[in-house]
Amino acid sequence: MAIHQQLLAAVDGRRGVEAADRLCEACVALLDVDAAAISLVFDGASSGTLGSSSARARICDELQFTLGEGPCLDSVAQRSPVVVVDLADPKESRWLAYGPAMLANRIRAVYAVPIVVAGEYVGALDLFCAQPGRLSNRNSAGAVAAAELAGVPLLDLMAGDLQAAVGDPNSDAWTELNTLCRAEVSQATGMLVAQLGIEPAEALVRLRAHAYATGRSATEVAREILDRRLKLEPDK
Amino acid sequence: MSDTPRETRVLNAVVSLVDCLLDDFDVVDLLTGLTERCAELLDVAAAGFLLADPLHQLRLLAATSEQARELELFQLQADEGPCVDCYSTGEPISVADIQQALERWPRFVPAAVGAGFASVHAIPMQAAGIVLGALGLFGTRPGELNEADLLVGQTLTRVACVAILQEHPPTADTVRPRLRTALTSRVIVEQAKGLLREMLNVSVEEAFDLLRSYARANGEHLTDLCRRLMTERYSRLMLVAELAEFAGGRSQ
Repeated sequence: MAIHQQLLAAVDGRRGVEAADRLCEACVALLDVDAAAISLVFDGASSGTLGSSSARARICDELQFTLGEGPCLDSVAQRSPVVVVDLADPKESRWLAYGPAMLANRIRAVYAVPIVVAGEYVGALDLFCAQPGRLSNRNSAGAVAAAELAGVPLLDLMAGDLQAAVGDPNSDAWTELNTLCRAEVSQATGMLVAQLGIEPAEALVRLRAHAYATGRSATEVAREILDRRLKLEPDK
Repeated sequence: MSDTPRETRVLNAVVSLVDCLLDDFDVVDLLTGLTERCAELLDVAAAGFLLADPLHQLRLLAATSEQARELELFQLQADEGPCVDCYSTGEPISVADIQQALERWPRFVPAAVGAGFASVHAIPMQAAGIVLGALGLFGTRPGELNEADLLVGQTLTRVACVAILQEHPPTADTVRPRLRTALTSRVIVEQAKGLLREMLNVSVEEAFDLLRSYARANGEHLTDLCRRLMTERYSRLMLVAELAEFAGGRSQ
C-alpha cells in the first residue's frame, strides 16, 4: 500500500486531537523518524502543539513556542518545508536557543512541512530524528501527504465545539478533503469572509458546520451561497 | 491569425511564455494563459491543467473557462476520464469521438456530451520521473490529436512544468512542495473571486477577469493580490474600492 493510503488507514474514523495523535504515530511508524508532532499557529494568539506521537515529541514541539523559534514557526512564516540535516553541524545556527535544546533532547535532524487550511498556513507537521540526515524521497513525499491529512483535525479543532463540527462520528473525514478543495467551496468561503467579516479558515469551518447541520455536502451548501439562495448568520 | 502558419504561431507562443518565465510571473495567471494558448493552437474549445495533490488526487489548477458546467466537468475529471487515465499511465490519451468511450468513462462521457464536447484528449505533465498531472483538452468536433498536435501539447505542458517548479531543480524531494504551493495559490484565487462576487455583486468569471487585469496593470502577481484581499482585513475595503474603480475605468 502506498504511504498515503497507510496514513489514511492509520487515522480512519478518528477526529480532532485523537486523529492528530494517530497521524503522528503513523508518521513515526512509516517515515523513519523518531518523533512527530502537529503544531498550530493560528490567529497569532493561539499557538501550540496539537497532536504528538509521544510525550517526548510533545516536549520537543512545545519548546519552540516557549523559546519563540523553531521548525513550525519558520515553516509557516516561509510557507515552505524546513529541512535541518544536522543540528550539531557548527555551520547550522538558525535557532540559537531551540537548536541546543533539541541536541540536549538527543534530536539531530528536523523536518517541518506546513499545514494549509483554506489557503492559510495554520501550522506544521514537525518530524524529529535522533540521527542526522535527510528524509528519503519516499518519506518526504509521505510527510507532505501527512501534512495534507493534518488539515482535517485542525479544522475540527478550530470549530471549537467538536460535537457540532462532526455530524456523523463514523463518517470518513478524509474524503472531505476532496470536497473542501473544490473551486465552488473556495469561492463560497471568499463570499463568507466578506459577508461575516471572518478569516478564510473560520469561514470554511462555518460552511462545513452548516453542511453537517443540514445533512448536505459542502459542495451543495457552497453552490447555494454562490447563487445567493443561502446566507449564513453571523455568530452571536 | 489563421494566415500565419501554425508553426510560427506555436513558436511565438513558446517565446512569449518563456519571456514570462524569465521575468516575474504568477503561476495561476501564467497557466491560465497557457491553457488559452493551448486551446487556440490546438483548435480545441476548452483546456484545463490538473495537478496531483499530495494524496495523489487530481485538482484543477487552471482552465480556459470558468463556466460552471465546464468547471464541473474539469473537476469530475479528477475522478474519472482521460486525465485520470493519463495521470496513472503517464501516457497521452486521445479520444476522437467520446461516444465510443461511454463504457470506459460512464459518468464523464455524458457530462462531456452535455457540455457540448465531442472529442477529448489528455497529455501528461512529468518531471524528475514523476507524473505531476495532466493537460485536458476538449473539442466540440470529433477528431484525434495528430502527431504535430501532440508535440505542441507536450511542448506547452513542459513550459507548464517549468512554471510550477520554477528555479527549484526537479528532484522528487522538491517537486511535491511546489505542486502544493501551486494548488494553494489556486485556492486563494478562488476565494478572492468569491469575495469580489459578494462585495461588487459580479459573477465569479467577471471577478477573475478583473483580478487578472488589475494585477497586470499594477505589475503585481495575481496570487499576491488575492492573498492581500483575503488576509489584510483592514486594507480590504480600500483595495476592493480600487478594484471597483479600475473596473469602472475599463468599461469606458
